[in-house]
Amino acid sequence: MSSGRQFMAILRKDLIRELRTREMLISMILFVLLAMVIFHYAFTVKEGADLTFFTGGMLWVTFIFAMLLGLNRSFAQEKDERCLDGLLLCPVDRVTIFLAKTAGNLIFLLIIQVVAVPIFTLFFVQRSYAGDLLQFLIVLLLADLGICALGTLLATISMNTRSRDLLLPIIFLPLIVPVLIAATGATTLIFAEGASFGSLLARVLFLLGFDAVFMVAAYGTYDFAIGE
Amino acid sequence: MKKLISAPSLFMGAGVFLVVGLLLGFWWAPVDASSMGFSQKIFYYHAPIAETALVAFGISFVAAILYLRSQDLKWDRLGFVCVRLGLLFSVMVMITGMIWGKASWDTWWAWEPRLTTFLLVCFLYIAYWVLRSVVEEEQRRATYAAVFAIIAFIDVPITFFATRFLPEGLHPVVITTGDTGMEGSMFASFFISMIGMTLLLVALIRSELVVESLKDRVADLKHKIGG
Repeated sequence: MSSGRQFMAILRKDLIRELRTREMLISMILFVLLAMVIFHYAFTVKEGADLTFFTGGMLWVTFIFAMLLGLNRSFAQEKDERCLDGLLLCPVDRVTIFLAKTAGNLIFLLIIQVVAVPIFTLFFVQRSYAGDLLQFLIVLLLADLGICALGTLLATISMNTRSRDLLLPIIFLPLIVPVLIAATGATTLIFAEGASFGSLLARVLFLLGFDAVFMVAAYGTYDFAIGE
Repeated sequence: MKKLISAPSLFMGAGVFLVVGLLLGFWWAPVDASSMGFSQKIFYYHAPIAETALVAFGISFVAAILYLRSQDLKWDRLGFVCVRLGLLFSVMVMITGMIWGKASWDTWWAWEPRLTTFLLVCFLYIAYWVLRSVVEEEQRRATYAAVFAIIAFIDVPITFFATRFLPEGLHPVVITTGDTGMEGSMFASFFISMIGMTLLLVALIRSELVVESLKDRVADLKHKIGG
């Protein structure tokens, strides 16, 4: 089987398994909605406060935490049902497993964002950013890719340790801060002022670089992370 | 030769360089002309400590790669020792940085790129330590630690770039490309302190490695007598 077909097979398996129960997706979407309510009460310090300026930050914090939930889940199942052992016995390149898992997580994150972004916009952003939608989507996709690639690699490590879901946030959050800084800055610019490609260029290039560097790093180390 | 680079002589060399660097920094180098004034003197310790912390993490990065290639546990030991010492130096960077900040900007903490980067670096390598503590099997622990050490070290410059996107900081840019911004005597004092601090790091790594191998021997002996 070519690695392209192996990739599709693993990705399909993950998607089918999730869509059968929808356990993870439903709890992640609920989490996002609840986070929105929590943020509303935490940040509305006075009547009619304009939260447009904070929405970018809220969104990315929510996505990163929702991703933590999802990552823990997606690997806990693999481990508990011993699916991973089966997968590792197949003649599949480890990097293909990594790419398929990353793609799966990316799809879940995108599904959550399709729900979350319009709602956050509706509730918090008091300015139309329809003209900047393309820029917003580019930032979103690039930051998502970084979050998912790094998250998948680290979740692979943490699932093999004693304190799985406790460990993941501790090793994931400090590493993801650069993405948070760049993505929040860009999103806030788009929401609050409207941003041309020129003003976003530095951040977009940075996100692109981050994705590239960690894809390569994961490519080089995933063999070791997933174990024999 | 072996005697010359033994831990005690390294410590001694480090001490001499550090004291000379400090004396020169205080009495030979002029008081900084900018608004920082006398408080700039802490720079002769602060900057060498920062550089040494990064060197320690750099060594742990190289050791991680060597471990993954050879699966030899001696590289894992070296990596762990370097991370521990790097953390120690990073904490010192933050303490000296805060003292300097208080003296020259009148604030203990500013969210400016370099301080923030070091704070995140501290969290990163504390995470490394936590990761080690939750894996029992030795070979597996070494492998995961190595993977994480590689990613963490790659993340350091990236974090530094990212913090540049934050609103402007207060940190003086002392060393820029081209003009060093320092007078000869200042640079000489700084350079001597830097050599001293690096020697101190090497000395500490050596003695820590000896301690680690003694620990291993004790564990072996215990195992032999069935303890």
